[in-house]
Amino acid sequence: MSQHQISMVLDLNKCLGCQTCTMACKKLWTDGDGMDYMYWNNVETRPGQGYPRKWDKIGGGFENGQLRPSELPSKEDYGQTFEYNYTERLFEGGLQAMPQEEVRNTPNWDEDVGAMLLGENYYFYLPRLCNHCTNPACVAACPRNAIYKREEDGIVLVDQERCEGYRYCMRACPYKKIYFNELLGKAQKCIFCYPRIEKGEVKACAKQCPGRLRFVGYLDDPESAVHKLVHVYKVALGLFPEKGTEPNVFYVPPFNPPRQGNYGKSVLDDPRMPMDYLVYLFGEQVIEVIKRLEGELKKAQDGGHSDVLQLLIGRDAHVRYQVNRPELVHIQGVKKI
Amino acid sequence: MNRAAIVLICCAALRAEISTILVASASGPALDPAAVAWKAVPSVSLSLQRTPLLYATDQPATLQISAVQIQMVRAAGHVYARLEWQDRTRDSETLPKAERAWQGEHLVKQSGATDRFFDACALMIPAAASEVFPSLQMGDPEHPVQIYLWDATRGSAVMEAHGRETTRRTGKTFSSQSTWKDSHWAVVMELPELPSGTPVAVAIWNGDQQDRDGRKYFSVWHKTQ
Repeated sequence: MSQHQISMVLDLNKCLGCQTCTMACKKLWTDGDGMDYMYWNNVETRPGQGYPRKWDKIGGGFENGQLRPSELPSKEDYGQTFEYNYTERLFEGGLQAMPQEEVRNTPNWDEDVGAMLLGENYYFYLPRLCNHCTNPACVAACPRNAIYKREEDGIVLVDQERCEGYRYCMRACPYKKIYFNELLGKAQKCIFCYPRIEKGEVKACAKQCPGRLRFVGYLDDPESAVHKLVHVYKVALGLFPEKGTEPNVFYVPPFNPPRQGNYGKSVLDDPRMPMDYLVYLFGEQVIEVIKRLEGELKKAQDGGHSDVLQLLIGRDAHVRYQVNRPELVHIQGVKKI
Repeated sequence: MNRAAIVLICCAALRAEISTILVASASGPALDPAAVAWKAVPSVSLSLQRTPLLYATDQPATLQISAVQIQMVRAAGHVYARLEWQDRTRDSETLPKAERAWQGEHLVKQSGATDRFFDACALMIPAAASEVFPSLQMGDPEHPVQIYLWDATRGSAVMEAHGRETTRRTGKTFSSQSTWKDSHWAVVMELPELPSGTPVAVAIWNGDQQDRDGRKYFSVWHKTQ
């Protein structure tokens, strides 16, 4: 058990699907050899196939305290990494810029496709990263003890020296957020930008987010936005709670107005997307969260004040991020490295 | 590993016939597995077992490789071990050399695959001269072992261990050569001089069966003479 747990809350109602977070992460961390196909942070359209393809259907996590069976995604499941015919198009009179190979799957392959409900299309964006779980399946699965959870902030890291590339962790992760660098023979994953966190700077994906939907702080810090959203206001949930890993990345579920009309009507009476789908992703608790958010919205619409909605607006960085908290030392009586 | 699995390994060890591996003498280095000189070296067949499934989530694996032929010669201050086994698939790739550099000017090299595993073999010997058989599970605290690992893609590495989950790369490598012909791997490893009576054990990994780590074929300990 870590002494502190850094955490992130993402308000899905604010995600634009712009992939700025994806590129921030890509440029900072996965710009090396053998990492071309890796997106430690990705944004996928839901409902959809996801990245890697069908990651939510191929198992992993725990069942009755035991690791659940799963599969290793293939490179094609992650999506092809291809180049365009730039030379031909720019210097040799070519008319079209085209991929140099037939493209059958890429990350974000089914962007904005979504699904239909009563003849109407619905979808939302789901940004995903390593959940830095409290009970990480990757740590449980590694026979070399190469994966560890840091005492000081709960960040889960792969020791690149100990890792032998066996990929039990990849298989065990129910979120499929561990990647294999075949050239190095090592498993690699989101490091929660720990070098930035150690300097009191927020994660790159959060810092770059134009939608300002990411809140970052210590879950055990009562002053942090993440603590309030998860534990006090109870409006943020982890993905697939039944997989038993206790994720530390939380989501404020998409909260659309009712499909037709809205006055005096609950979104649950006439939803724009099947609530079953949200229950599938976030568990039964999501219905209570939606009712809670609806109540807050009603309060604000009636001229009242909602602390929850004010916090979710999160206009300024200091409202969203509380990563530089040396006072935690006093709160917890633990020396922070 | 659970207790039942350990019992299974011990039973396998008792059932297997313990042959002695004769170490012949040769005039010069014999790294080429196809060299004619190997034809004159006595060969011993070591029967192989599959390790029990280490994780409940593992797919069961069939016994596709039932034995490995081992030959050993002493020459020029080294012992050369030649291992030969049948393997219908050659799971090996030539991967570009990767740099750990991030960004910079060099063209980023693409990763090949995420879900393939490579063929490999290893010889385990006691770390210190001893006629005692250390634990087959990577030695034990009283009897540490050295492991000479050859991987069809990543080359050779010397590892050391003193029990399960303690295997560690020493950073050293050793000379080796290999061929894959007619569904057979032949690998020659250059080992240090071994005193007579040194026990050796062999492990084979079949990439096609997703072998890696403790998911492998293994022989029991055999004495050399």
